[in-house]
Amino acid sequence: MLRKDFIKKTGTMKRRSFLIFGSALGLFTYFKLKKSDDFEVAFKKVKPTIEAVQEHMFPQNSKLPSADSKQVSLFLFETMSHSSFDKDIRAFVLEGASELEKRHDNHFTSLTAKEKEIALRAYEETSYGSAWLSQMMTLTLEALFSDPIYGINKNEKYWNEVGAYGGLPRPKQRYIGTRDV
Amino acid sequence: MYDVVIVGSGASGGAVAYTLCKAGFKVALLEKGGLMKREEFSKDELAYCRRDFVTPNLFDEYHTIEEKVEGEWVATPSYESGWSFWNGNIVGGSSNFMSGMLHRMHPDDFRLKSKYGEIKGANIVDWPIGYEEMEPYYALAEELVGISGHFETHPYAPWRSTPDFSQAPTKENAVVKLLDKSCKTLGITPLVTSRAVLSASKAGRDACYYSNFCGSYGCSSGAKGSSREALIVPALATGNLTLLSNTHVKKLHADSTEAVSYAVVVDTITGEEKHIKAKLFVLAAQAHETARLLLNSANEYHPDGLANGSGQLGKNLLFSGGGSGQGELYKEGLMEISFEELMTTGLFVNRSVLDWYFIDDPKEGRFKGGSVEFMFEHQNIISRASKDNKDEGKLVWGTVLGERIVKRFREQKSIRFEIFNDWLPTDDCFVALDPVHQDKYGMPVGKLRLNGHPQDIKVGEYIAKHCEKILQQMGAQNIYASISSAPAQNLVAGGCRFGHDPKTSVLNKECRAHDVKNLYVADASFMPTGGSVPYTWTIYANALRVADAIVRHLKST
Repeated sequence: MLRKDFIKKTGTMKRRSFLIFGSALGLFTYFKLKKSDDFEVAFKKVKPTIEAVQEHMFPQNSKLPSADSKQVSLFLFETMSHSSFDKDIRAFVLEGASELEKRHDNHFTSLTAKEKEIALRAYEETSYGSAWLSQMMTLTLEALFSDPIYGINKNEKYWNEVGAYGGLPRPKQRYIGTRDV
Repeated sequence: MYDVVIVGSGASGGAVAYTLCKAGFKVALLEKGGLMKREEFSKDELAYCRRDFVTPNLFDEYHTIEEKVEGEWVATPSYESGWSFWNGNIVGGSSNFMSGMLHRMHPDDFRLKSKYGEIKGANIVDWPIGYEEMEPYYALAEELVGISGHFETHPYAPWRSTPDFSQAPTKENAVVKLLDKSCKTLGITPLVTSRAVLSASKAGRDACYYSNFCGSYGCSSGAKGSSREALIVPALATGNLTLLSNTHVKKLHADSTEAVSYAVVVDTITGEEKHIKAKLFVLAAQAHETARLLLNSANEYHPDGLANGSGQLGKNLLFSGGGSGQGELYKEGLMEISFEELMTTGLFVNRSVLDWYFIDDPKEGRFKGGSVEFMFEHQNIISRASKDNKDEGKLVWGTVLGERIVKRFREQKSIRFEIFNDWLPTDDCFVALDPVHQDKYGMPVGKLRLNGHPQDIKVGEYIAKHCEKILQQMGAQNIYASISSAPAQNLVAGGCRFGHDPKTSVLNKECRAHDVKNLYVADASFMPTGGSVPYTWTIYANALRVADAIVRHLKST
């Protein structure tokens, strides 16, 4: 979710306070991360949860081509690591995933599809969970429909499916730098 | 020492640099952002439209935005809200990213008070110049910038000194057949949009190649009439221009009551601070940043800020009133054209309506109205994929979401209108210095108090109702309109209004500071009222007019 969309959605200019203090569990440790190494460590902890949510939102049997959730989460990590990414939203993504896990005694990833649906719909009932799920959807759509240079939309498969094509010239390099993994 | 230092390289800075360099003066053009050349632009939606790629990170540089909450003015830093008031901080400024739908203001826009009288709560004044003084510069800008179009007689179309545009209109999607017919059925006159995009190659700039991704993106053929392509590149070719990118101006220093002696600047890469001297200084930033810079330049000679003898500096900030609306055209029931024609990508809708520029309605009365532009929904793919993922407030995901996304792209095309009407100047819309917050260079940030006049909403809603009828006539579905008092941050003007009286205005009619002899303001902040069209053509024209005044000034001293 872009920040201005956040204002529209929540009707508040106090986006930052909402992101930091909105957690029902009173987390917000991730807002204190200083170094990029800290972010990498923190991201690895919540990565399985994020991937499970993405897989649930964008399942294999959809009209859209299936995405490798590991590739999508790598995109998330890369785009969120870049200095242009809003640091509050970066922390919010981690925090929201932690909260989801905590709501399910750290077993969210092992729930069945039906149980996940119930869990995510319940999370959506909270304004914090709703904002987090919107954020996850936005980031995932960015992954799927960005230029192929970002790694997910290989051979323009998502663009082909919807019959839409990025304009020319296409980017010759990623603004987040080259992938060195 | 330079003859002239210009602060800001957008539409106005480029126009002044062009004129002065052609006249043989040595000019330094200061730009806080970096230089991106034509070949460096791409249609990378993620970078340009979804990240702060060409604007500052809000945690480094920001504004505070003051809005009324339960009767009290509350200021919120923009890093808190995410509501950025930066617009394209690279060489050429936001003109790199404009959609380029440009119009001249109407002669009556220059005399709004005389023509339409006072409006309670609005600080309306006539301009100190008339349209006849601006017209030659509208014509000059049309040629230099390369504005394409086709002049059609209309009661509210401003007169021109030349019969027609030298650049033919850009190519049009077949949907104009349907739009034109629908308008005519309703007794509305559609006009061809004048657009700062070349339809034919000109002076080292290639014609438009209809990329389908124009607004919000830099142009890769040079067709878009950005300040960089149309003015800075030829100014550099004179050998008289020194372009200093990554150079942020903290303040101007005046060591007397009468003149500025140097600009205090910071290299944004190295952090090194230095002074740049010139005989004359021209401010050409975004309107709210120009007022902030002058307020931040206060010293013992100018305790209330530079050029602020009137106390009017930063007051009467303007945005653009109005809003937008949209409807969906589907294959089923599509009239006049084939679905394949509708879905053809890249071509412009190219239609404007001026029928409601002035309104005399038996029920609503006589009042100033506004202009309308028609266009397709922006073709950005990520944003379109994100638009239909809610059902009764809940997210849609799974297989249903996939079906919805595919359907949205393959089975319809959304047509949209944007309304531009006056943002009336009021006491509650201004820029001041924030008493607490500072940017990363240690300078107070601009505090923007934003409040629209109720008349702005009334006008916007009046016009929107008519536009919705056009979409209905076209057979569009799911039509909606949104008229808001929240300002569009990319359409900002005012704050240094020009006028004859030094007690009530910041600048004289040539946009020179009343108080400071070697200081001019060339950007949109001179405007005391904003008219009912996007500002850019008027910014280009007025900056060319101011530049001629500066040439006369320099030659006489």
